[in-house]
Amino acid sequence: MTTEQITSVAGRPEALAAREPVRVVNRPRTSMTARRQRAFYMFTAPWIIGFLLLTIAPMAYALWLSFTTFDGLSPHWRYVGLDNYRELFSDPVTWDALGRAGLFAVTSVPLSIIAGLALAVLVNRPLKARGLFRTLLYLPAVVPPVGAGLAFKQLFDQNSGATNGVLNLFGIDALGWLNDPYARYVLLMTVLWTAGNIMIISLAGLQDVPRELHEAARVDGASAWRTFRSITVPLLSPVLLFQTVTGVIASVQTIMPLLLAPDGTTAGVTLVPQSNYLYMMHVFAQYFAIGRYGYASALLWVLFVLILVATGLIFRFTSGVVFYNVDPEAKK
Amino acid sequence: MHPRAGAALSRRRFLALSAAGAATGATALSGCAMRVSSGISGSGETITVMVKPGEITPDDVKQAHRDLGIKIVLVKYDITKLIAMMTTGSPPDLVRGVGAIDAPYFAARNVMEDLDPYFATSSVLRPGDLDPVNDLWRYDGRTQGRGPRYGMAKDFSQDSMYWYNTALFDKAGVGLPPELDPVTFEEWLENAGRLTRRRNGQTTVFGGSYNGLMKSSLLACLTAAAGGSLFTDDFTRVDFTTPEARKALGWYIDYCKTRVGPSPIQPDPNTWDGPTYQANRMAMSNAGYWLGGLINTDRKLAQVSRLAPAPVFEGGPRISPCQGGTGLWMPAKARNKDAAWRVFEWFFGEGPAKARASGGWGIPTLKSLRSMMPAQEEYQKRVLRVQEAELKHFSVISFTPYATADALDALFNQIAPAAMTGRISIDTLAGRLSSAMNEQLKRGKEQVG
Repeated sequence: MTTEQITSVAGRPEALAAREPVRVVNRPRTSMTARRQRAFYMFTAPWIIGFLLLTIAPMAYALWLSFTTFDGLSPHWRYVGLDNYRELFSDPVTWDALGRAGLFAVTSVPLSIIAGLALAVLVNRPLKARGLFRTLLYLPAVVPPVGAGLAFKQLFDQNSGATNGVLNLFGIDALGWLNDPYARYVLLMTVLWTAGNIMIISLAGLQDVPRELHEAARVDGASAWRTFRSITVPLLSPVLLFQTVTGVIASVQTIMPLLLAPDGTTAGVTLVPQSNYLYMMHVFAQYFAIGRYGYASALLWVLFVLILVATGLIFRFTSGVVFYNVDPEAKK
Repeated sequence: MHPRAGAALSRRRFLALSAAGAATGATALSGCAMRVSSGISGSGETITVMVKPGEITPDDVKQAHRDLGIKIVLVKYDITKLIAMMTTGSPPDLVRGVGAIDAPYFAARNVMEDLDPYFATSSVLRPGDLDPVNDLWRYDGRTQGRGPRYGMAKDFSQDSMYWYNTALFDKAGVGLPPELDPVTFEEWLENAGRLTRRRNGQTTVFGGSYNGLMKSSLLACLTAAAGGSLFTDDFTRVDFTTPEARKALGWYIDYCKTRVGPSPIQPDPNTWDGPTYQANRMAMSNAGYWLGGLINTDRKLAQVSRLAPAPVFEGGPRISPCQGGTGLWMPAKARNKDAAWRVFEWFFGEGPAKARASGGWGIPTLKSLRSMMPAQEEYQKRVLRVQEAELKHFSVISFTPYATADALDALFNQIAPAAMTGRISIDTLAGRLSSAMNEQLKRGKEQVG
């Protein structure tokens, strides 16, 4: 209702009795709440527009594609309903790739969190040149994955890699590191190589643990391990939960096996050794090598849903063990 | 009733406005993308050319601007990007492609411009001057090699031939192959085995590499060399179970199993033969005349390098196909067709073509440029002699329009390593390959109509 409308209504005698137009007319044009809300939306607008344009729109497009036979170029693609999803659920390659991705997540995530936490505990101690150690340990995480992938490929090449050179020095025959059955270990090493990321976050968490608690435990005669287990880990649990959730999401989406693949061409994705042929390799192959955009989009949507479910389950099963260092009454 | 001025935005209204903003942004971005391929700049028109790095150099771009007054904007070749550009209606004006495998695929989908009217009036690219290899870029809706021209090869090689290093042969005490007569594939493999050097589980010298340009085109060529055809007459199916296809497949799997050269189960860290051959760590490399461009840059290596005819199968025909024929094509929806054609003429018939011809990186695709092929040194004359004799056996092996070579290769890579490591038999492999590839071809056939 505009101000003019309000004024004219106020002019009628019956309305005059029922309302107090003077107070309405004199009300501030923009309340503080409205201004705050507007400011909020103005500040968040760039992100929301970007989110709609670059996340929601492509996801919706991919959802639409997942119901078609679209291959990028052909004029006669058609709507096939849920056929791609039906095929997906009956495709053994998909299940195998998904199983391997799950196995990779449950091995690589705990390993990298343990490694990162151990490094954080080390560099949190009063060492000489502590800053230098922190920098050196974090440095690998700064290397772009493509560079790290190439370096690992060279390092573990059967015929010219340094790793086999070292083995030869000890009289051990060269191993085909980038092929099965060793390729999975090289892949795990590439994950541990970036444990510096987890170290930094864990280090920040460690520095937030109140010193008095450690001192009190020491006075009570608790061992270092007991202090770590009963004080440090519970206080770090929100950080560890964050690392678990983001780690699981990142590990099922990893494309590192592709960077370690023997053949850098598009079709070379299917040359990734079987143990490293994870779900995203299958998606990449279907999109870019085989050209089945519809089927690949269905694969991605299924992965998205699975990630949502896995994240929900992680939150559910850890709700009783994660300790949030906040006042429980604060919400009330 | 309209909300009051200054009233708080409701969440619904805000999201609606955001969506409108996003849509406007998308339109604006799309508009920008369209302008990329049709922008007018400076003295002439601007065209967009999508090629791999080095195929058209920044110097070429400057030269084109000087010679033609046309500005070339280079876009790095990427099939996904190409599809995106074509889908949004703003394709490049010229695109690189491999004639042997790309021409039927794209032509069947009606995305290529028929260049016959341009060729008919060109004084630079006269039909009578075109080498037969350019027929790889023809497609009549059913068969490759016939019908309208959709592109042209920049140069070519007979990709079943191979180079060998005489020094490594001498060192291993293996007799050199005859200069003009082909060895059999079995002899080639036996030689490769004798030339291979291993130490402590590492291969220090690969006896020979034989992987073709793409696995699917290699297997089609090997099957033809065994006297058969991998594809059915209508190109809607493959059959690896015919005696000829099985023989070809069996030979390639044996090659991989014996680990005499790079293969899917024993990759070369250099990813291609060039650097390994150059480092004297490969005795034979399956590559055509074009590898001479690299070899000739190292005089010492050039003097011990020889080009040999394509091997044959015992009792099979002697053929020596081109598996590539890389060149350019013009999308049907290109925006600057005339300017693009002028660059096309310049690239295939003028300065750049002459430079390529004299560089030894492939055989010129215009007969009139043949005389420019390098033949100053004795080793160059020897190579040329072999190449000229081999041209008599040139043939076109048609490829299916219903699948990309990448798709068929991806399926091969997925299935075949099990046979290379002895986990499945050749017969099982032949059945699985036929089944998986036919599924892909069936989908392609449905989409082409």
